[in-house]
Amino acid sequence: MSETYAVDIEDVSKSFGALKALNGVTLRVRRGEIYGLLGPNGAGKTTLIRLVCGLLEAHAGTVTVLGQRMPNVPVLRHIGYMTQQAALYPALSVEENVEFFAAINGADAGVKAALELVQLYDRRGSVVATLSGGMRQRCSLACALVHRPELLLLDEPTVGIDPQLRVQFWDSFRRMAAEGTTIIVSSHVMDEADRCQRLGLIQYGKLLAEGTPADIRTQGGSQNLEEAFLALAGRKES
Amino acid sequence: MSGHRVRAITRRLLQGFRRDRRTLALLFVAPIVILGLLGYLMRGSTSSPAVGIANEDSGPLGAVVADALRHSSHLKTSEIAASDGDAKLKNGSLVAYIVLPADFSQRAQSGAVAPEVHLEGSQPGEDSPVIQALQQAMISLASQVSGRSVNFQPQLTYLYGGPSYDTLDYFGAAFVGLVVFFLVFVITIVSFLNERSQGTLERLMASPLRRGEIVLGYMLGFTVIAFVQAAEVLIFSLAVLKIHNEGNVLLIFGVEALMAIAAVNLGIFLSMFARSEFQAVQFIPLVVVPQVLLSGIIFPVSTEPGPLQFLSDVLPLTYAVNGMRDIMVKGADLTWSSLQLDIAVVAGFCVLLIAAGTATLRRRLG
Repeated sequence: MSETYAVDIEDVSKSFGALKALNGVTLRVRRGEIYGLLGPNGAGKTTLIRLVCGLLEAHAGTVTVLGQRMPNVPVLRHIGYMTQQAALYPALSVEENVEFFAAINGADAGVKAALELVQLYDRRGSVVATLSGGMRQRCSLACALVHRPELLLLDEPTVGIDPQLRVQFWDSFRRMAAEGTTIIVSSHVMDEADRCQRLGLIQYGKLLAEGTPADIRTQGGSQNLEEAFLALAGRKES
Repeated sequence: MSGHRVRAITRRLLQGFRRDRRTLALLFVAPIVILGLLGYLMRGSTSSPAVGIANEDSGPLGAVVADALRHSSHLKTSEIAASDGDAKLKNGSLVAYIVLPADFSQRAQSGAVAPEVHLEGSQPGEDSPVIQALQQAMISLASQVSGRSVNFQPQLTYLYGGPSYDTLDYFGAAFVGLVVFFLVFVITIVSFLNERSQGTLERLMASPLRRGEIVLGYMLGFTVIAFVQAAEVLIFSLAVLKIHNEGNVLLIFGVEALMAIAAVNLGIFLSMFARSEFQAVQFIPLVVVPQVLLSGIIFPVSTEPGPLQFLSDVLPLTYAVNGMRDIMVKGADLTWSSLQLDIAVVAGFCVLLIAAGTATLRRRLG
């Protein structure tokens, strides 16, 4: 495919009743890029991710993913989606969960590699209900990437994960990006933001600022990314 | 023991209810609906059994008994020819018919009568008002035969069932299907709801799965479980409880299986209208109880008040129950048009629910 953008969001608005969750957002993510969606709780990050994987339909504007206008079912084969809560079947083992998501995506061969990537291969027989929160999160990630998607959507993937594992997660994200996978990560942890190639700051359903972490520091006038973000957020509000 | 802490729990509970309008409505509306329905069913029913009288007596006394029966407030009588009786029992227009034989007067004079009572027999309890009314009629006979006591010995024959046929046989036939229907419905609605609440449904929706694939996959999975359960229930009913069965066991299993498939799809469909397992369980009094009351399991549809009969006629469970009874009590097979209708209605209902379940399973959540 020749198009440069894996995700092309054009002037998208989405409301739930009276609440404007997204208001005229335009945002483009290049192929093989790690793009961070930053913003406080309720800013519209999850809504944006759901629009990208076709769970929601925009009221205005267009969402194009891998060259197809969303919602579009065949494109979903190339998307991996890790939800905010570790959405797994608690009565199944780690391996059975991953096998299930592999099967519905038509990628039965990838189970072992996915389990090794999240370092759960030795625990593959454990029933999910008995796992710690961090292990569930890893299992959930394995389910999202078992079919080697071209686009990986991660909604706050490192919540509840210890720092050591977080480093390992990011190592794998970078490796996958190097192999051509596009990754969109939502987070409100600034330390993670620094690991992204580009960032988009969202607040009250609007894109406040966009750019590399260095750009954001310059725009916000602070070497500390968190302060820069707060400065940008405060400026737009007043 | 701290009153303050106890109050905190009580208050929390009531605050929760205030927001859950649906639970509140259920708590206060459901009892009225269910009791009202029950009251209407029991008080409003037109339950005088339809009884045919064939008076073949060459003497005068048969007419006396026939007349007394006609005036009995417990029966709805009609004159028939004895040769038509069995056909009328079969098509359900009569519950029983009484034949007063040609030598009735003669035998009454000699002190012993034996009128024939032919009972349909599939519903226990319907024969006793008939026999009681006949006994009453015999009293008026005794006054005609002055000074003599007449020994009354009715000859009972049963079209279905028989003297050993009891209440369990009647209810058992219906319950074999109902137990499976009910339990399969509950496990389906709850596990489909789990799929929503644990977030995996959102994941499925973001995968290339089609809605129809989800519904069909669910249906097959639960149908496997339901089939095992149906087989277990059937074996227990026939081998341990020894419920009366005239029909083909495979045919019973077939109807049970069809009911299970309907229950799975009803569960999937209704899970779309519940936000929690708590709300899902609330469908039991709203969906299951009225169906049980109206499907003829306990009260025969023919004795229900008119408007309720109409309601019964549109409930699929009515057909399922009728089919099960036809097979087990009457030995119906697939050549019976009534059984063909029952099976067609239940199968049609399954197809309708599969379509409805698929249509309500929305890919987009908002």
